[in-house]
Amino acid sequence: MFIYVLTERFQTMNKSLRSKIAIAASLVLSAGLVATGLPSAQAAGLQPTAAQLAAWKGKEITYYFYNDSQAELDTTKAQIADFEKLTGASVKLDVIPYTSLDSQLQARLAAGNAPDVARLNNPGLYIQDSLDLEKYLGKKYAAEFLKGSTLQVTHPTTKKLIGVPYDLTVNGPFINVDMFKKAGVAVPTSWNWTDLVAAGKKVQKATGSEYAFAIDKSGHRVSTAMSHFGAYMVDKNKKNVLPLSKARAEKAIKIITDLYKADQAPRDLWIGTGTKYSSPTAIFLAQQTPIFFSGNWQVASLNRDAKFDFAAVPNPKELNGGGWPGGKFLIAFNASKTPDLAAYFLYYLADAAQMEQMDKAAFWLPTRVDLVAKGVKYASRGSDMDVFQADAGKTPAAAYGIQSVPTLTGKIYDKLRDLMTEAIAGKITPKQVVQQQIAWIDTQLATLKK
Amino acid sequence: MPYLFVAPNMFIFITFIIWPAIRGFQISFYDSIDGRNFTPVGTGNYRAIFGDPTIAEVAKNTATYVVFYVIISTLLSIAFALIVNEQKFAKGFFRAILFLPVMLSPIVVGLIWNDVLDRKVGPLNALLQAAGGGSPGWLVEPKLGMIAVIFVGVWVHLGFYSIILLAGLQGIDRSLLEAAAMDGATRFQIIRTIILPLLKPTTLVILILATIHGFQSFDFIYTLTGGGPLGATTLIVQYIYDRAFQTPIQYGLGSAAGVILFMIIFAFTALNFLLGRKREAI
Repeated sequence: MFIYVLTERFQTMNKSLRSKIAIAASLVLSAGLVATGLPSAQAAGLQPTAAQLAAWKGKEITYYFYNDSQAELDTTKAQIADFEKLTGASVKLDVIPYTSLDSQLQARLAAGNAPDVARLNNPGLYIQDSLDLEKYLGKKYAAEFLKGSTLQVTHPTTKKLIGVPYDLTVNGPFINVDMFKKAGVAVPTSWNWTDLVAAGKKVQKATGSEYAFAIDKSGHRVSTAMSHFGAYMVDKNKKNVLPLSKARAEKAIKIITDLYKADQAPRDLWIGTGTKYSSPTAIFLAQQTPIFFSGNWQVASLNRDAKFDFAAVPNPKELNGGGWPGGKFLIAFNASKTPDLAAYFLYYLADAAQMEQMDKAAFWLPTRVDLVAKGVKYASRGSDMDVFQADAGKTPAAAYGIQSVPTLTGKIYDKLRDLMTEAIAGKITPKQVVQQQIAWIDTQLATLKK
Repeated sequence: MPYLFVAPNMFIFITFIIWPAIRGFQISFYDSIDGRNFTPVGTGNYRAIFGDPTIAEVAKNTATYVVFYVIISTLLSIAFALIVNEQKFAKGFFRAILFLPVMLSPIVVGLIWNDVLDRKVGPLNALLQAAGGGSPGWLVEPKLGMIAVIFVGVWVHLGFYSIILLAGLQGIDRSLLEAAAMDGATRFQIIRTIILPLLKPTTLVILILATIHGFQSFDFIYTLTGGGPLGATTLIVQYIYDRAFQTPIQYGLGSAAGVILFMIIFAFTALNFLLGRKREAI
């Protein structure tokens, strides 16, 4: 806590005073480090050295960024402004739409135009391009983050940290409280999928809404329902475990596809958008569905745009409750011309003070051990965030298994999404979805052995 | 001296068209999963495309789209050009209205029609329901999806083709039309026997342009249907885009598909041109 206070005070000082203090501090630290024989970045960590500050002055780095809400963008801009004051370097913010996040970044990397730092949700694709953070931030840096959340940013062979978890996401349902009240349906405090479907249909009937239920068009979100029934795709040993829970997976898939086939969920949004990701956020905001299955990253946008009372409610519980692990990550790239500056920028964004600021503003869940222990106090929507936090704790350990194959997670989720599309269109059955998904996972896992 | 004047244009043309085309052709013989490391694979990418189970559907979709798009666009643009040419009142206004879709961004076009064609809350189905019709799933049913993209494709380019044809119409010597009218020819006879034959060179240009546009259609379709429902509107350019830019990126495969598309367009354009020249000679 003392360090955070110091950091905050440090940032509010004027530039010349800050520079002097930074130089003095770095000299003291350097002397200490020479005495202990530790590598400078590993031990100093928190503050750049005078030499670094001098070298960074006037340098520019690029931050490849996407945002789910305006609050994330505004907070990021403010944090960048502070960082620029602190280091004398400048940060060019490239804001990219989520739907083309990976395609644009891969094209940039191929063209030799890599950004210095990026905010991503699929870090496994960039393992070969990422900066070894241990070299700049020390071996102990990984321990500052929740252990499970660093799996996707741990190099599969060297086991070194190649990025940091920036926020933890938890999937779960939102309900339109006004519509539930109007229909005389109690706001659920615990329920299963049968209750959820029944409640959605009852509210739909009573309010005349277009749909009873909507879920993001995403294999990641569907995996949550499968987890509730005890069905998983890959375990921590990189094994295809879907064959062990075929019937349970079918059950989960059938519940969702039946709602879409019966027009009680927005079929057009799922089928009519090809192989693209799409979210029914606008449908929920237009009060066309009483239940919207998404995740905590929606809270900021819903809080700003919803003209009705909404609430996050617990995930349905079958064999299991809880959410499904996910999150966004910060990666620095090894093509950076100023790798130490890139690493420090990443460090700065993910430090406790900045992360807490972002978590509060954008309703994120923290990934830092210290923040989790301390708890983040949200100015509003605290009860919603409590629901997500509680569900994070209830998420079964098996749900983290898929993170053992960071280069394949995106592909596995996308295939499940595309098979769901075929099932919703009535082209294949839920049983065939599971069979084809098993075959696909086997093929993908085989590529790892080559 | 003349080379000096064309040099800036040639520089741009070579840098942004010729060089990337040559490079694309070269990359089509390599495999790359990250866009940085390339392994030569000979004709492996071409064989992979022809062995891809989805390519047959993509080829069928592209052929269906191009055939209907070219025929409907050409016929409608001739009709609209004739109507606008005859108009006496608010000529400029109607021409502007006709040309308006051409000025819209294809992304905006896709988004607008996505809303209009929405099965449940779209205005088109609201009108149909008011008229006692049903609620067709324009963006959900594969066959209707193809009809929807053909319609929107025609809507976008119609004004452009009509304006070109209008210029062709205005180049026709009016004394020929007046003489035919004085000889008692009906309006239909004048169009069939004088206007359309004289409009052939311009129509040929429209046919060639529409064929190229048809094969190259992608942007508005991507925002309108994303290639769905169930791949029914995935055309060759989206196939290239998906291979080259969607994870996992496969630049070699994308480039090979691009070369195939170039050869198809080149063949059709040459055929159109040769047939047109032959007819003119007759």
